[in-house]
Amino acid sequence: MLSTISFFNILLPFLYIIVFSVYAFDFFSEKSKFTHSKRIFLFVTLIAHILYIIFRTVEFDHTPITSKFEIFSLLACSIAFSYFLLELLTDIRGTGTFILFFSVVFQVISSLFIEHNYQVPEVLRNRMLGIHVISALLGYSGFTISAVYGILFLILYKNLKTNKFGLIFNRLPSLEILEKLSFYSVLIGFILLSIAMIIGIIWLPSAFPNFRYSDPKLVGTFFVWFIYSLGIASKLIGKWYGRKVIIFSLSGFVLTMVSLILTSTLQNTFHSFY
Amino acid sequence: MDFVGITINHKTAPIEILELLHLSREEIIEFISHLKMNFKEGVILSTCNRTEIYSLMPNYNLDSNKIITSLLEFKKVENLNNEHFRKYFSCGAVKHLFSVAAGIDSLVIGDSQILGQVKEAYEISEDLNFSGSVIKRVFEAALKVGKRAIKETAIGEGAVTVSYAAVQVVEKIYSNLDKKSALIIGAGETGELAAVHLRDKGIGKISISNRTIERAEKLAEKVKGGIIPFPSLKEHLHNYDIIISATSAENLIIHYEDLAAAVKKRKGQPIVIMDIAIPRDVDPKVKEIDSVFYHDMESLKVIVDQNIQKRKNEIPKIESIIMEEMQNFFAWYNTLEIVPVIKSLRNFFDSIREDELEKIKHKVTPEDFNKIEDMTRRMIGRLLHNPTIKLRQLAEQGINPDDIANHSFLIKELFSLDNKTNGTEGNKKEKN
Repeated sequence: MLSTISFFNILLPFLYIIVFSVYAFDFFSEKSKFTHSKRIFLFVTLIAHILYIIFRTVEFDHTPITSKFEIFSLLACSIAFSYFLLELLTDIRGTGTFILFFSVVFQVISSLFIEHNYQVPEVLRNRMLGIHVISALLGYSGFTISAVYGILFLILYKNLKTNKFGLIFNRLPSLEILEKLSFYSVLIGFILLSIAMIIGIIWLPSAFPNFRYSDPKLVGTFFVWFIYSLGIASKLIGKWYGRKVIIFSLSGFVLTMVSLILTSTLQNTFHSFY
Repeated sequence: MDFVGITINHKTAPIEILELLHLSREEIIEFISHLKMNFKEGVILSTCNRTEIYSLMPNYNLDSNKIITSLLEFKKVENLNNEHFRKYFSCGAVKHLFSVAAGIDSLVIGDSQILGQVKEAYEISEDLNFSGSVIKRVFEAALKVGKRAIKETAIGEGAVTVSYAAVQVVEKIYSNLDKKSALIIGAGETGELAAVHLRDKGIGKISISNRTIERAEKLAEKVKGGIIPFPSLKEHLHNYDIIISATSAENLIIHYEDLAAAVKKRKGQPIVIMDIAIPRDVDPKVKEIDSVFYHDMESLKVIVDQNIQKRKNEIPKIESIIMEEMQNFFAWYNTLEIVPVIKSLRNFFDSIREDELEKIKHKVTPEDFNKIEDMTRRMIGRLLHNPTIKLRQLAEQGINPDDIANHSFLIKELFSLDNKTNGTEGNKKEKN
């Protein structure tokens, strides 16, 4: 099993690079040779990645969330998986290059530095923690994808305002679609982050004796959740449109990143395992 | 090959002359009955940008001036310079027809209407029994070229008119036009084109506003839209997601303040303004408003120029398709010469076989006779297999028609087949 895991660990970055290259080629080339087949490349890569995660879980007897590099691999998979679902549901195929770039980066770093970890604290073997972390990661993937669509929206918006009709104008879907994709990604991310938070609030106090609600990571996550809930409410109830919603979403993403970086560097948290 | 094509088109003559020689469907029908007196087959294609006549000349007489004279007489046009006409013969005529059908000879490269017009022209000839097997095959091949050009290249892609470019930009802002509303200001040709494009794209609601209410009503009826009275235009701006203005007004119709007020009423919902009028109808300052997308002739022309260039880049691909289809056509055409020769060669061998069988018919038992008959049939088949295949290959792949003629001649001479040729298609071709 260990040799299979090692094999997949080497294979996955290459698969992601191939998928990314195919999507990039399709975006930048006028010939559109891979418009239909590129999804198959992504599907195969995702299957390989899911198998890799299952093998690791079985072999090391814990969900692969026990180190930064295991988390990176999960993040790569969840971003690619979220994008795959979005592409299947909307049939919009021209934006994969910008999203899958993140999967490539996370998986390459993960594969380079990941270690085979048999010895981990008992709490990290808990299945509830696994669900908590995976749903949080999927939530953050949603926010990342939303931010990418937000940036693409702003680029196309600027192109349209300044009468630039080049590659971006020809290849990207309409502003309205980019706005919708960004909003749906935020919505899905928000729901998954909410699930992660609910599990955390219910389960963490019993698992960690030093649990406290004033923990910086909890406060930071709640702050991010609150900002996104405001944005979603403004869109749904306040009927916000276009650039205003996108800028709000991007601000949310920046806050998420700042919050994650700050809380990860703070030492006085029970919520740090690595 | 005695196929001839004459053309007068946008490249060879000014529009006034093209208009003089344009033939309506009824005129084409009448003109064909005139041509039938001197020509056996032909097709007449007449559009806004070209009038062309294709014909098979009798007795290999390639003097096409007779066709031009007939056309000028029919249209009662005098003193027209012959230089306005281009004449094509044989391969050249086929190639020109294929280029026309593929849209690369059109005024707007990749024009999507021309293929239908070529098809219609051929159908008129067919209905009037003015097309034979060669014309039929040439035009079938031309239609195939046109279809392949559309399917295999990007010759018809992208907007090449300002009105269509405006719609293309609108589609980059809104995803579902069926849920959007559009206001067309100006019911002239450009406004009409934009309205028709939007209707074809399935716009949810469309309204027309024009100084002359009758013209607005006419266009509204055409696109199944409503009417906004021109004097109260500004009060309705906020109700529309798309505003296309194409009037001939000397001054601005929509000012910055008008649109700022409309945007306020729309609570930030985006509004697209396409100002395709010269001089402008809308104050260009409106583009400073956050949720307003303003485009004028200048910016839309950028898209049109880009798309025209892209279409031009497709021409080499189309030319390869034309070459392929020309090879296929001439492969078929060349077999017209060789098929009767093969047939008479086989008849000649069969007659010898039958003669010899007749001589021994009463000298052998019926069972033996059957065996000999089978054996000789197989023998003749095997003897003629290779020559038949080689002759067909020569006809299908032969670039030089002289090669085919020389081989045919040699076989006819060797076996004295001159009086035995009985291929109907060959005779038909000779007559043509």
